Amino acid sequence: MSILQSIKNAVRSRSIHVSYIDVGSCNGCDIEVLACLAPRYDIEQYGIYVHNNPREADVLLVIGSVTPQWEDKLRNIWEKIPAPKAAIAIGNCPISGCVYARKGSLTTPPVKNYIPIAAEVPGCPPRPTEILSAILSVAPLIFKDYEEKQS
Amino acid sequence: MKKTVDVSIPLGPMHPCWKEPVRLKCETAGERVLHTEVELGYMKKGIERIMRGRPWQEVMFLAERVCGICSVVHNMVFIEAMELISDIAVPPRAACLRVVANELDRIASHLIANFSYCYTIEHETLAMYLLNTRETVLDNLERLTGSRINTAYMIPGGVRFDLLPEDAATMLADLAKVEEELKRYVRIFETGPLIGLRSRGIGYMSREDAIRAHTVGPTARASGVEDCDLRLRHPTYRALGFEQVTRTEGDNFARVMLRFQEVFQSIDLIRKCVDTLPAGHIRGGGLCRAGEVSYSGEAPRGELTYTIKTDDFGRVLDIAIRTPSIMNIEACAHYMVVNATSIADVTSTFISSDPCIACNER
Repeated sequence: MSILQSIKNAVRSRSIHVSYIDVGSCNGCDIEVLACLAPRYDIEQYGIYVHNNPREADVLLVIGSVTPQWEDKLRNIWEKIPAPKAAIAIGNCPISGCVYARKGSLTTPPVKNYIPIAAEVPGCPPRPTEILSAILSVAPLIFKDYEEKQS
Repeated sequence: MKKTVDVSIPLGPMHPCWKEPVRLKCETAGERVLHTEVELGYMKKGIERIMRGRPWQEVMFLAERVCGICSVVHNMVFIEAMELISDIAVPPRAACLRVVANELDRIASHLIANFSYCYTIEHETLAMYLLNTRETVLDNLERLTGSRINTAYMIPGGVRFDLLPEDAATMLADLAKVEEELKRYVRIFETGPLIGLRSRGIGYMSREDAIRAHTVGPTARASGVEDCDLRLRHPTYRALGFEQVTRTEGDNFARVMLRFQEVFQSIDLIRKCVDTLPAGHIRGGGLCRAGEVSYSGEAPRGELTYTIKTDDFGRVLDIAIRTPSIMNIEACAHYMVVNATSIADVTSTFISSDPCIACNER
């Protein structure tokens, strides 16, 4: 491993830009992601920065089972994120559809039919600490040695 | 007069200020925003279609997943509607505990609404203070109900868990701390000159417009609409001596300040409930029967109505939910952000009306 690559690995594991997207949930998971910002959990001490711009993001948090409006837009947003990138499914909805995967529903879960999912955090909704630990454990693994894997 | 529109700016569906996807189309002339249009439909899951034909035991869990922020009140209104149909009495202790859970949820919801507003006007310090205070409130809700967000606390004829004496003592101590902290934050909000510049006089809606637009909840009360809080008609709240908070300014500042005032009021209500908690059972029991009813309750955002039709086995044959945000969002687009000075005021005004898109579209 080159010196440049090891520097990049070290920097990337402590500088994760997060963008979150709600594709049709009860917004219980949205507010748990927001709760991660609170000083109690203090997401920024781990170098995670939450803002909602996919063009600057490294990690995309996907919340909710997919509604018809999002079917094409979800792929577009995923393509806008610069590589290396990872998507994490937050809550039961993107994994299985949770209560919305029933007869009469308009949603089409799971999210992994639309974009590649790196990690899944089950729960309805998961606790902020679980979301935090998922981001922290997955992102460095995916971003490690990215340039060397490419060549 | 011919309207000259320079450019139509879309805000959303993915926007740093929105918690949930919604799209606003702003027609601008220079910096000025002439007209705004709301485009909904990004969160339509068809939850009422799923509910039809299912037993109440399942619909109860679906009802609180209409909205994550105010899930307790969805649970409460659905269960109280079922009790009204089936003529089930609630033990007095359970009725008081329902108020405690509902008010804790209301505090959490109002705090996150004010957090969003402060975040939108870029006062991040105050926003983070409020978010941290909300965690303390959610801790108490978790200690009472066993869950932070989707609690499923109420059932026909009572509640699931009792409030233990030591939890009650912790709750009162925590609420005293929350009240003390909030007094400081309200002072910061009230006296901050830059907050005043971004909030006072922005997004004004008169009392007549508020009534014409059928606004509900804090948005209506901040414009001076009297007698629009359904807690005034709820028997348990009436016994606690509940009085509605009203402000007359009708701008963004009034809407945020009204929510702060309601938080203090909710803390007082919880204190009264815990201090005068009647002894006895928390579950009375009863069978859900056939019938049809339309029942409303006061959600953190306003009037929430459930229209339910059940059969003899307690199955929900037909259900219609009317959530508060839809009126407030339309009022926001038609009255508050007409002729706004800049596009930055559109986001802050929209957030000040506390839109809940998941509620809205279900």
